[in-house]
Amino acid sequence: MKGYRKYFGKKIVWFLITFAAAILLNFILPRLMPGDPVAAITAKSAQGISDASAAQEIYNHYAEQFGTNEPMYVQFFTYCKNAAKGDFGLSFSQYPRKVSNIIGSALPWTLALQFPAIIVGWIIGNVLGALAAYIRKGFDKVLMPVTLFFSSLPAFGLAVILMIVFAINLKVAPISGGYGYDLIPQLSWKFVRSVFTHYQLPFWSIVLISIGGQAIGMRSMSIYELNADYVKYSRFLGIKDRKIVGYVFRNAMLPQITGLALSIGTMVGGALVSEVIFSYPGLGSTILQAVSNSDYPLLSATTLIITIMVLLASFIVDIIYGFIDPRVKAAQFD
Amino acid sequence: MGKTILEVRDLKTKYITRFREDVYAVDGVSLKIEEGKSLGIAGESGCGKSTLALSLMGYYFPPLHYISGDIIVDGDNISKMNPDDIRRNILGTEIAYIPQAAMNALNPTQKIIRFIEDVIHVHEPGKTKKEIYEMARARFEELGLPSSVLEKHAVELSGGMKQRTVIAISTILSPKVLIADEPSSALDVTSQKMVIKMLKNLMEKGYIKSMIFITHELPLLYNVTDDIMVMYAGQIVEKGTAKEMVFDPIHPYSKGLMGSIIVPEAGSRDVKLTAIPGTPPNLKKPPAGCRFAERCKYATAECRANLIDSKEFADGRSYRCIYEAEKLREVYGNE
Amino acid sequence: MKNTIRQVFHSPKFVVGFVIFALMLLMVIIYPIISPGDPLQMISKGSFLKPGVYFSVYDSINTNSKTIDLPEANQKRLANKLSDTDKVSMVQWLTAAGVPAEDIDMEDTTSLIKLWNEKYDPTVKPEGMTMAQRNFYKRLDKSLDNILNEQPLVVSAQNQETQTLDEIKRISDTDYVNLKDVPNVKVLPLGTDNFGDDVLKKLVSATKTSLLIGLIAGSIATLIGLTLGLLAGYLGGFIDDFIMFITNLFTVIPSFVLLILISYSIGQDKRGASTVAIVIGITSWVWTTRSVRSQVISLRNRDHVNLSKLSGHSLTSIIIKDILPYIASYVVMAFILQISTAILAEASLSMIGLGPKTADVSTLGLMMDWAMSYSAHLNGAWWAYFPVILVIALISFSLNLMNTGLDQVFNPTLRD
Repeated sequence: MKGYRKYFGKKIVWFLITFAAAILLNFILPRLMPGDPVAAITAKSAQGISDASAAQEIYNHYAEQFGTNEPMYVQFFTYCKNAAKGDFGLSFSQYPRKVSNIIGSALPWTLALQFPAIIVGWIIGNVLGALAAYIRKGFDKVLMPVTLFFSSLPAFGLAVILMIVFAINLKVAPISGGYGYDLIPQLSWKFVRSVFTHYQLPFWSIVLISIGGQAIGMRSMSIYELNADYVKYSRFLGIKDRKIVGYVFRNAMLPQITGLALSIGTMVGGALVSEVIFSYPGLGSTILQAVSNSDYPLLSATTLIITIMVLLASFIVDIIYGFIDPRVKAAQFD
Repeated sequence: MGKTILEVRDLKTKYITRFREDVYAVDGVSLKIEEGKSLGIAGESGCGKSTLALSLMGYYFPPLHYISGDIIVDGDNISKMNPDDIRRNILGTEIAYIPQAAMNALNPTQKIIRFIEDVIHVHEPGKTKKEIYEMARARFEELGLPSSVLEKHAVELSGGMKQRTVIAISTILSPKVLIADEPSSALDVTSQKMVIKMLKNLMEKGYIKSMIFITHELPLLYNVTDDIMVMYAGQIVEKGTAKEMVFDPIHPYSKGLMGSIIVPEAGSRDVKLTAIPGTPPNLKKPPAGCRFAERCKYATAECRANLIDSKEFADGRSYRCIYEAEKLREVYGNE
Repeated sequence: MKNTIRQVFHSPKFVVGFVIFALMLLMVIIYPIISPGDPLQMISKGSFLKPGVYFSVYDSINTNSKTIDLPEANQKRLANKLSDTDKVSMVQWLTAAGVPAEDIDMEDTTSLIKLWNEKYDPTVKPEGMTMAQRNFYKRLDKSLDNILNEQPLVVSAQNQETQTLDEIKRISDTDYVNLKDVPNVKVLPLGTDNFGDDVLKKLVSATKTSLLIGLIAGSIATLIGLTLGLLAGYLGGFIDDFIMFITNLFTVIPSFVLLILISYSIGQDKRGASTVAIVIGITSWVWTTRSVRSQVISLRNRDHVNLSKLSGHSLTSIIIKDILPYIASYVVMAFILQISTAILAEASLSMIGLGPKTADVSTLGLMMDWAMSYSAHLNGAWWAYFPVILVIALISFSLNLMNTGLDQVFNPTLRD
């Protein structure tokens, strides 16, 4: 039990450190860039607003929030205090809507789309990789180049191809959006069905993209494990192949779990672009919106939320991993 | 004379490499072990002794392939049995194996007791978990291993402990033959001693009826086994009791092997260490004549041309050389 | 060294990847020589011209024509004019008139018209067809005839003095000109994009820019990763802890987020292709650092390194002579991987509007972004985006193949 406590303690401390670093980076990066960010950003965004007093209000608000005249550390504390309250200020592009409000409505879409898709892709990829390693001949020779090609496709490329084939040519799925444009979000069968059909293409495009890398990793891991001494030893004690494959699969799978924790960030990056292609109402589209409208507060808050999401996800994966791999416990005693 | 537990007649096996070349790693080995006896097999690395260990179990998977020969365990010829039957009925119960790299022989993510359950279930499917646990605990304690090991994972055990656990697991079904391939080579001296003690203990208590101990460390064999065979290039070049082999080797290769042992005695620094020059032959194309000829200082044209048969004495001792034993002893004496 | 290279080229995977990559490079180098000119020059008014050969109508009228009589010419001409609804109507009549369905092929317009001309008879009254419908078919038949009236076309020019139209030339339906005699012909193998730029020419130039971005970003990332990995692995202790802390930090914080933040903060005006490459480079070194470090740690206490240490060689000389040669293969593999990740990163950045400035240069990502912004995929203008996706996929596929091949050469357990 002591080993576990040490492991989880370490992971929690690590999570807090990365969390702090993420906030710090989010705060510091724009300020490291040349020029006065507040003046530039505010001037740009106030262009679209005809009401002069509103523009002035934005300027004051951000001058206050950024507090450029204050020392750096004071600015940082203000920033943290506001962020902790969930206050990311007002959006430039959808003034006077609150940034937290925009993110709040986009976040569920992203969560509901990406995490199931990444997990399904991870599972399918691992199964294929293990099969490729176990069967080797033929299956491996055909499957691997195909998987490699798929994993070489950029996420948006695959998304576009899926859209062309299924939405435009076969017309079996809608082209874009999270639900029918003529519907109001509510709990009705019609709406739920619409959400479900709109869900399919973005979902499968993310799944297909995640399969490739996972399958390749799992294949290497499984081949490595299949050559391990314990496989031979178990055979020589008469244990059945089916049982041994079980050992191998489990052992090869475990590093893949940490692999998932480490690569979740990259996967989310690709998935955000898929969202953009399908105009899915999630955080990916929010970023595009923020960038094209020079909506700095929105962009900064969205990236922060994504980072925190990714950190949390890998933290959770790490914790689960600690429970299922005994090597973790043993390693704590070294 | 005791009952013969294991008899091997003219066993031949080969490796098929990924370039589809045949490597004749075990080329006509015969041996016999009686109940309660142990046999040591010695040789340089690459002489085929580990392959022999694998071949003796009668269960082959690529790249190792069976060619010909008989393996008779307690009266049953297993070399003609189908692989599945061997796996179900022979491995673990009749013949058990301790692998060379026991450090990694245990699945790192499985509790020891779960693995023991898997092993026992293959052969005795009816046993309950509780029975198995009791059986394992009793056996472990008898062999001087704490029963707490059963609830641990392999990664939590030290090297020596892992090795002894592997031995205990391999012998848990009291096999008739135990094949130990370098069971102690990777360990420190203390752990080595414990392993040897454990193996002897197994023999004395009758949990195993016979043992084949494979190593490149000859002095170890002198302490552990009753008989010793020396292997070279896939063949047995000499066989005898441990005492004979160490103090009176006949074959020039055996002589060379004994010479390369450092004996930690006073003045041994002055004894010239005679490592055997050269390397073993390529077993893809074994030489036509004596396989040791290329490295043997007494070799003649005749040695290189013709196959050399084993010469056997009445007491069971045998060697594979063109010269008479007396002549060789005389030559060694003059050096 | 020589031996290693030979071994590498024995791996089929590596060779296939290498050939694909080399062909792309060759095209990037040779195509601008064959077809010079500014890739960002707008050549067409109106966007998304279909791929094909365009030749000047004006010139072809003024080119000497020859008479060629082709039996199928009329039907082809008809087929070109016939709308899909007309075709459906024709099929309906033919079916109603009792022509077996398997004889009617709606896709093959020429044979459909032939069949129509054979079978259509205004006096036939198919069952269940109203008067109005029969009249419709009569009109349809007539319109077909009209298209085929064999009157020549008259080309005329306005007389500057009298303001009357003077006939210059009559063009009959059997007049043909040789394409070689037409002075102005433009081949657009991949049509034009939303700006009216030649897509193929732009694609080649974009591929070049993207490869350069990959190369620069890859070099920067590899250099940073190699340096940090070597320092951390070789020196160990506090430096190792510190570097690994930073590395682990940037492993979990998504580099995509950093890319967005930095690119945005730099601002649209300062974001050239090389800036984007540098930004990508400095956000993607973590994996190289990790793998170099673990390799160096396993090398650190090898005999030959210890020997050099004892002989008093300097740190740099030990690293260059005793460590680098052993990790070279890993570094090369990491570098190859970085190139393909960087190309993908540029494309993704461009897709959310944070790519290089559009006016100066084109990249694969920008081409994709503009094609999407102008809904090329909804308009059926596949030539504007599909070749881009294919090129990106081929680049990263070839690089990944090379990497897998190398991996199998250097890690024998992965071989079959």
